[in-house]
Amino acid sequence: MTAATQQNSPSSSPASLLIRWLFVFGLLYGFLVAIQLMGGSIKALGKDSAETLFDGVSNPFAGLSVGILATVLVQSSSTTTSMIVSLVGAAKDVALPLTSAIPMILGANIGTTITNTIVSIGHVRQGPEFRRAFAAATVHDFYNLLCVAVMLPLEITTGFLQKSAVAMTGWFVSDSSASSFKSPVKAAVKQAFKLIQDGLEGAGLEGIPLSAVMLIIGVGLTFVCLILITKNMKILISGRMEQALNSALGKSGVAGIIVGAAFTFAVQSSSITTSLLVPMCAAGVLSLRNAFPIMLGANIGTTLTGVLASQASETSAGLTIALVHVTFNLLGVIVFFSVPAFRKIPIALAERLAGKAQKSPVWLIAYVGTVFICMPLAGYLLF
Amino acid sequence: MFDWLQKIGGSSHGLADIHRRFLEMLQDGRHIFDAASNALLGGTTPDVIRTDLYETDLRINHTEMTIRKELVVHGTVHGASTFPTLLVLMSLVKDAERIGDYAKNIFEIACSGADLGDEASKAFLIQMKDELSKFMVRASNCFDSQNEDDSRSLLKDIDAFQKKCDVHVGELVRSTGRNEAGRVLTVRYFKRTASHVGNIISSIVMPLDRLDYYPDKPMSEQ
Repeated sequence: MTAATQQNSPSSSPASLLIRWLFVFGLLYGFLVAIQLMGGSIKALGKDSAETLFDGVSNPFAGLSVGILATVLVQSSSTTTSMIVSLVGAAKDVALPLTSAIPMILGANIGTTITNTIVSIGHVRQGPEFRRAFAAATVHDFYNLLCVAVMLPLEITTGFLQKSAVAMTGWFVSDSSASSFKSPVKAAVKQAFKLIQDGLEGAGLEGIPLSAVMLIIGVGLTFVCLILITKNMKILISGRMEQALNSALGKSGVAGIIVGAAFTFAVQSSSITTSLLVPMCAAGVLSLRNAFPIMLGANIGTTLTGVLASQASETSAGLTIALVHVTFNLLGVIVFFSVPAFRKIPIALAERLAGKAQKSPVWLIAYVGTVFICMPLAGYLLF
Repeated sequence: MFDWLQKIGGSSHGLADIHRRFLEMLQDGRHIFDAASNALLGGTTPDVIRTDLYETDLRINHTEMTIRKELVVHGTVHGASTFPTLLVLMSLVKDAERIGDYAKNIFEIACSGADLGDEASKAFLIQMKDELSKFMVRASNCFDSQNEDDSRSLLKDIDAFQKKCDVHVGELVRSTGRNEAGRVLTVRYFKRTASHVGNIISSIVMPLDRLDYYPDKPMSEQ
């Protein structure tokens, strides 16, 4: 095609694709090195300093709030969960306790939804179009809020998520209580980690300064690697993504969940998946009911980033917290999707809020301010 | 050697699917036009083709809606750089859909039993119909190949065809005696159909803002 119907020409020759794929694998390696660096930084910090640091999030509501705020700030639940996985999977005496990490992981689920809410605000002047866009964005928020509202109290009282994840870890690791987690991936990234650590120590860093620099490099590298993985994977699989979305337009249910999960796993970002759905819902080509399962799939797909990160952890606790995330999101789908009566709740809430926000922007400001700023800030400061 | 890499990511452009669907739409347009014109001029009994004609029109409308949805998905996935292409295609599918609408109008003239005049007048209309039907095939080929020279040549022929339509309608309007409504409407619908075929092809040689808009010059001279 030329002239008016000319196609864009992203370099899509086999050679350039091969280079891009190799680049993605390189980024994946960098991401795993970053996870080890973050875990190593806590180890370098020492037991007492680590305990003092983690005391602030020992209350579940404070942990939940930190999870939300951190994710809102970095606009990526993958980054937050990877950081949490690395902290939990650090050497046993300095690691973030699993009980403290679980609410943070749940908070990351809520915080990540701000991205598509921001995308929906782009339609704010378009009346009915904004209503559809805002409903598409907030249905994901309401779903995640409801999941946390149901499962966090249950977790605090029974510890069911932690217990089930510990049991599952036992299926994959022969001795899940072992202080050292033997992963082939970990061995592969250890050399790069040692190289950086030795380099920093050679520069005269030790103790807290060494820990701080390793943490900064680790967080920065995680962030950059995930952004670049997302960007490149989006280019690499855009054709497949387009086909999958076209086929999911008229379907609701398991097909949508699979599309959402597969696509999110591929691009390592649930925000990308859910944000793509917002303009389609705004234009009316995708109904809220058909978009909802794709969002649920995105929630599942994003948990695999944590599982990937756990492969570079020092201990099997990293895998356990990643499995908590997987279990939480799978249970959410089972509870809020397989039961039709429950499925209607987030959809109805989103439609009602969107209707009000269309009439008055005060609702929009109040909602975003409450859920993503005031509530988590209050949670952190009060608890 | 590494072609499998392209397969992993899927066809790099959903536009290829949209392009294919659009060509199917043009084929359906030609089919429905030929069927309706044969009912009017070729002696086919309208009832024989009625179901096929309306089903084809429904298929054209359905394809138009599918293409529109796919264009939104394509724009969402690939971003702002695709918008000019999407806007052009959004306009073209409307032209392709209108070909089906005019075919239905021609079919309605056939159903009304309109008097199309003597054998010479009918022969003239049949010749115009055949010419227009060939334009549709050429338009489809031009769109598929995006050949600018062929497109300009086709636009020139369509301009000439439209002029012929105008001259003929002028003669019929000025004529006295017979009721020429059937012939006037037929020629008028032929002209409109040709105009939509021309719009589709003009997208190959003209900028987006000039599509469907020819204030002073014929399409081929834009």
